[in-house]
Amino acid sequence: MKLSSTGYLIKEGFKNVWNNRMMSLASVAVLISCLIITGAASLISLNVSSLIAAVGDDNELTVYLKYELSDTDSVKIGPQLKKIDNIEQCRYYSKEEAIKQYKDTLGNVYESMQGDGNPFGNAYKIRLTDLSKYKSTVKQIKQIDGVDSVSDRSEIAGKLTKLNYFVTLVGFWVVLVLGIVTLFIISNTIKITMYSRRFEISIMKSVGATNAFVRVPFVIEAMLIGLLAGLTASGILIALYNPVKDAASGIVNLIANSTIPVEQLWLPILVSMSVIGMIIGILGGLISITKYLRKEGGEILGW
Amino acid sequence: MIHLENVSKVYPNGTEALKNISLSIQKGEFVFIVGSSGAGKSTFLKLLIHEETATFGKIQVNGHDLMKIKRRKVPYLRRTMGIVFQDFRLIDKMNVYDNVAFAMRVIGTPEKQIKKRVREVLRLVGLHGKEKRRPNELSGGEQQRVSLARALVNRPETIIADEPTGNIDPERSHEIMKMLADINNSGTTVIIVTHEHDLVEEFGGRIIRIDDGEIAEDKYISTKYHELPVSINTSNLVLDLGDDTTQQAPSADTLGKERNQ
Repeated sequence: MKLSSTGYLIKEGFKNVWNNRMMSLASVAVLISCLIITGAASLISLNVSSLIAAVGDDNELTVYLKYELSDTDSVKIGPQLKKIDNIEQCRYYSKEEAIKQYKDTLGNVYESMQGDGNPFGNAYKIRLTDLSKYKSTVKQIKQIDGVDSVSDRSEIAGKLTKLNYFVTLVGFWVVLVLGIVTLFIISNTIKITMYSRRFEISIMKSVGATNAFVRVPFVIEAMLIGLLAGLTASGILIALYNPVKDAASGIVNLIANSTIPVEQLWLPILVSMSVIGMIIGILGGLISITKYLRKEGGEILGW
Repeated sequence: MIHLENVSKVYPNGTEALKNISLSIQKGEFVFIVGSSGAGKSTFLKLLIHEETATFGKIQVNGHDLMKIKRRKVPYLRRTMGIVFQDFRLIDKMNVYDNVAFAMRVIGTPEKQIKKRVREVLRLVGLHGKEKRRPNELSGGEQQRVSLARALVNRPETIIADEPTGNIDPERSHEIMKMLADINNSGTTVIIVTHEHDLVEEFGGRIIRIDDGEIAEDKYISTKYHELPVSINTSNLVLDLGDDTTQQAPSADTLGKERNQ
């Protein structure tokens, strides 16, 4: 294929889309649906990961001190906690502060729970630098005299890891299956286009067109269908992102602060959907046209 | 130059379309391939353009060994030929100019050269001024002239015409044959498959009759359009009974020896 043919071939690809506009439109519509589902699965996966990261970041532990420990002795434990390497932050959490949280719930009883009536002991709120060193850090903390217990988050960490694995696995299969479906759809469209243009192809072959020359307009056509579907699907996803996020936040409060904002996502969505659409288009087109051109003999119709 | 040696073609269903045929067609020859339906004429043409592959034998066409040719080289073989079909094979949605230009575009010719050459060829086939017409606005004879222009536009070494007058009236048929004869006189090899005995008699040249997959007859008819080729050693020719202008054509071997002399 010569360079001088490039312009002609690109023009032919565009013409193909227009000449087979009904078929192209049908393919674009089906592709849009598949890309939206694929994109939605990816976005859910991304947001769950972000959620997991947010929960992971919220690695605040409570170090409960012995109930009988005086306020003075309790304050002395702070510097000992800060000496532990894996402790990033350490904040004193007095028993007065703890009971204050329950003021509304307790109502009239609240007053009677002040001073000696306070059922809580003093505590420290700490943050770990590395959550994976949780067990060894807790062990070090428990060795400090006056420490009663440490809140246990190992179970939550395990659950989050399992959820992350599940979301990634489901997302992978959804993307894979829909990818194959879209590939099949686009290759079928190109097959139909080729069938409708087999007469033209046979003339091309009879005058000495190379397979590459015959292939290019169909690949461009498939690429354009993919691009168009990718752009539309990304537009729809961007438009629906915030309303869906708001609706989901109404159900689970945590989502509201932990999801990725649309401002950060619109460009990656647009670029990735368009590129995925084009790649699927090119692959689908190539599958059909290569299969068609591999046929031995019978290239020149009716001979 | 076209050279076939002991060529046979057996289709997968067992039909033996060509049986051990050998012949040579020299550059610049004007050849009619005649024979009844199913005799093997179409298979012969299909072998020449590598639409089909021979089961046995050797085939050389315009410098390509068709028994060894790679798939990616087939387009380059076909660029040495121009094919004229019985049913014209024009693209309805393209006008006359584009139908002819198409053959140049597919081989990557720059648009400037295409413009010049297409106009030249359309003038040659008498279609100057009809560039913008669509095939369905033309008569059968004119459509075949477009087809001829498309076959000619890339300056092929060989023109292969499969029943070029099969779908047009006798007067237009004569015009098409006259054009093919003129093309041949300019040095292009022309191979025509036809059923029309009258045209064969009138235009003459080399006549190869295929019957049941074999070459039943290979002779020359000298006419005002085609005289006996001067390169043929007349001592090898056998006169056909009752017609002093009809002579037996030399075998592939004979021609081969003459070329080497």
